[in-house]
Amino acid sequence: MLDSFRSSILYDVLKLTSTLLLVFMLTAPATAGPGPPKRPDFPQGVSTTNPGNDLWREVRQRDLPVTGTSQVKGVDSGVLINVEGDRWARFRIDNPVRHAPTLLVAVVLVLLAFYVLRGKVGIEGGLSGRMVFRFTDYERSLHWCLAIVFLFLAITGLILLLGRTLMIPLFGHHLFSLIASASKEGHNLFGPIFLVSLLLMLVSFARRNIYEKGDLTWLLKGGGIVGKGHVSGGFFNMGEKSWYWLVILVGLAISISGLILVFPNFGQGRVIMMVSNVVHVFGAIVLIAVSIGHMYLGSIGTEGSSEGMKSGYVDINWAEAHHDRWAKTCHENDEILSAEEFARLQGNPIDSGDATTGAAND
Amino acid sequence: MSERLEKGLNMLRQEMDKKVMSFFSSCVRCGVCAEACLFYTETRDPRYTPIYKTEPMRKLWNSEYSFWGRLASKLGISKPMTEADLADWEELVYDGCSMCGRCSMVCPLGVDISMVIFKVKHALAVAGFSPEGLVGAVQRAVDIGSPMGITMKAVLATIKHAEENTGLKIPMDVEGADYLALLSSNEIALYPEYLEALARIFDHAGVSWTLSSEAYEATNAGLQIGNKATAGQLVQRVVDGAEKLKAKNVISPECGHAYTALRWEGPNFIGKAYPFRVVHILELLDELQANGSLKTTGLESDRLTFHDPCSIVRRGGIQAQPRNLLQPIAQNFVEMKDHGSMNWCCGGGGGVSSNERAEELKHTVFNRKKSQIEELEVDAVVTACSNCRMVMEEGIEINEMDIPLLGLTELIAEHLAEKSN
Amino acid sequence: MIEYLIKGPLWYFSLAVFCIGVLWQMARIVFAKGKTDLSVARGSASSGAIRNVFSRFVPHREIAAQIRLQVVAGYMFHLGLFALLFFAAPHVHFLEKHLLGFGWTPMPHWAFIVAAQFAFFGLILLWLRRMLNSVSRLISTTDDHITAILTFVVMLTGCLALGKGFHALNLLHFFTVELLMVYFPFSCLMHAFTFIPSRAFTGAWFGRRGIDA
Repeated sequence: MLDSFRSSILYDVLKLTSTLLLVFMLTAPATAGPGPPKRPDFPQGVSTTNPGNDLWREVRQRDLPVTGTSQVKGVDSGVLINVEGDRWARFRIDNPVRHAPTLLVAVVLVLLAFYVLRGKVGIEGGLSGRMVFRFTDYERSLHWCLAIVFLFLAITGLILLLGRTLMIPLFGHHLFSLIASASKEGHNLFGPIFLVSLLLMLVSFARRNIYEKGDLTWLLKGGGIVGKGHVSGGFFNMGEKSWYWLVILVGLAISISGLILVFPNFGQGRVIMMVSNVVHVFGAIVLIAVSIGHMYLGSIGTEGSSEGMKSGYVDINWAEAHHDRWAKTCHENDEILSAEEFARLQGNPIDSGDATTGAAND
Repeated sequence: MSERLEKGLNMLRQEMDKKVMSFFSSCVRCGVCAEACLFYTETRDPRYTPIYKTEPMRKLWNSEYSFWGRLASKLGISKPMTEADLADWEELVYDGCSMCGRCSMVCPLGVDISMVIFKVKHALAVAGFSPEGLVGAVQRAVDIGSPMGITMKAVLATIKHAEENTGLKIPMDVEGADYLALLSSNEIALYPEYLEALARIFDHAGVSWTLSSEAYEATNAGLQIGNKATAGQLVQRVVDGAEKLKAKNVISPECGHAYTALRWEGPNFIGKAYPFRVVHILELLDELQANGSLKTTGLESDRLTFHDPCSIVRRGGIQAQPRNLLQPIAQNFVEMKDHGSMNWCCGGGGGVSSNERAEELKHTVFNRKKSQIEELEVDAVVTACSNCRMVMEEGIEINEMDIPLLGLTELIAEHLAEKSN
Repeated sequence: MIEYLIKGPLWYFSLAVFCIGVLWQMARIVFAKGKTDLSVARGSASSGAIRNVFSRFVPHREIAAQIRLQVVAGYMFHLGLFALLFFAAPHVHFLEKHLLGFGWTPMPHWAFIVAAQFAFFGLILLWLRRMLNSVSRLISTTDDHITAILTFVVMLTGCLALGKGFHALNLLHFFTVELLMVYFPFSCLMHAFTFIPSRAFTGAWFGRRGIDA
């Protein structure tokens, strides 16, 4: 009974609270006392300044940033104590570290609520089984490669960002330091792979993601997810295009700031490093938050969406519901495959009877 | 276990040699072979992936020769092979593979896929999973002497006709002749010009040759269906005929699979080496041209190309000879894209053309050859295999292309120089 | 205790399984039945065999465009892995200290990182293609996925242990390597060795027929 209580979270919380209370009680008299304590052995009424004060003020750079000279030649070697560093560390703890978990949990909760209230966004008339080609093997491999590397970086990155506050209480210092070391190595190693995948993604998909006439209507109608009614879209619709450019632009920002952080040997000073860190962290949190939405929409959120990134083919009804202008050209070019033809191309023919006796070409 | 399954599996076991073991041990299922296969590229049906056609063999290897498979069957948790494992592959192997061997050229692990498919054919053949068309052809070859049911009477008629046309005597059953010429059924029934060409060329070059009334058929339906016993029986006829006439050389006709059967597989089918040399007609013509006994004259002004028959070029190694022969007579010769040992099959090899069930598929896969030919804008296509020629003529007709097919030997015969002596 | 197990008995066990297993599998191929070809050879089988072992490293021009992804990703993975396996400093030191008694110049740290990135990128792409392409999906077996995942895990644990100072991470890498070594002889990983006889047999066949393959 006692053991199980000790291992419960409640116990941890109680322990933490009582520790905090104790610390507070011990330190309270010192901080809450009435003014500075008198020093009886010092002559009263004589105002003296400790000569060390000025030096300390200079070193601490209370008034303005000062750069001294040093025998050591190197970036920022003239700065003894970096004031910005303090501000950056506080900013990092006060903002991303404190609010990122809330934001990410909130995103998940909103999507969960949406799923409960609205359910899966279906297609009028359901899926037809007739398919149309959408993504090549290479395009799909690239997408999933970027996705895998992104997830790996997101997990290791979040461990590095939030681990101290969230994981040490759970795993203890030793295990966490091990996980953090592993995460850091893995994060730095996979970072450049993300950048390369991103650039390949830019080359392969950019042209189809240029905004065009009609995209605004999509936005005005809420993408067809909020409310009802027909929304217009080309090969990619407004929502997909925006997600694409967000990934590309924010992804590039994260990658470049990441490279600045991982290669400190190119003469960048601390300020640049700190700015890079802030860009890196904020970009990553934005991308992770939105990617959760992307994953939701690509899987359980909308009917028929995942197929395009699995087999490379999508249902024509799905295409008509989400990309009507593209679907129209598919109709015009006679690119729609029957369910049987699609199954044959996937290597699992429906009618095994004469499955191998040739393709009906038209 | 049914008897036919037992027979099939036993044949697979019998064919499981060191090559097959190294092949399945090294295959990483990369799927590169699919891109080399005519039947895959033209239909995009993944089931036509060459290595997938060897599944019966791989399954047997997995269950009886691999560690995990043997462990699983010892523990009784593996599914034993069933008749369906053979039956379901009949169409893939017989209709969906022309044994062109292109897959064997591209495999990064060096797997000779088409050889393994051939071994699968052995098993399907003994288990009785073969298409009717081929079964009939084998029956006719054994009973009548020709897969097309051509009797000696028809051969004699062709000979008579050729003698009339050329004014030359066609030697028959001449003992001690240097060369015994064989014919393929196609050449007797559809392209009698071949025999006339032989007569003219040999007369011109002064070659001592003969036909045999006992061994005239070069094709081997046993090879096409994959039945080694029948294949051996048919090869033995040729060997007996050649031995009886004491021929020093046997000439394989233009027909591709006949060359494979006679030149390469024959001795293995009958289990002993030949007492004579087998030479393909293109090899012989090239030799004659090189030693000066074959001289040509005149130039074809038409834009010509050469279709490389798979069994002769890719799987037979006769690649330079047709070019050597065409060079002096074709003024306007162009090579096809992917020519030579990586050329595309006409789609009718490996018995596909004798298999009526595969007709529609054969026409679908002809699209590749069609686009290859159209791209060149040639006036005529030369080839050196009567089966390729027949399949392509059919394809060209269906696609309304109006491009004539020429046999290389006949083309040479049309360009013979006047005899100098 | 765990360290003793991983670096002691388990290591010697997996080393033995790997060595004996590979030799056994190769011997089975070499000593399996094989018929002598009775037809008269046109060319040399042995020169064909040797030529084919090397010529298959280069894809045929005629299908190069269709298999670009496999070729590029395949080379990235294999070259990267080869560099990591034989030229990573920890590996060179390990081989020198525990197996061979001699060493060679390892590659610098930056080269290690680049090689690892190439290997990871290649492996991820190849494995994804295996699942996404309808041909590869049809012909792939469970073994193919196990080997892909196992290789990935071995590479990953190795790279995660780069920080040094964490013994447990090293042990984890050591352990996954042992898993891989035990699995190796009974899987398609054997292609690392059997590609040679496989190419040689086919090359010999082509060689004696006088085919330029």
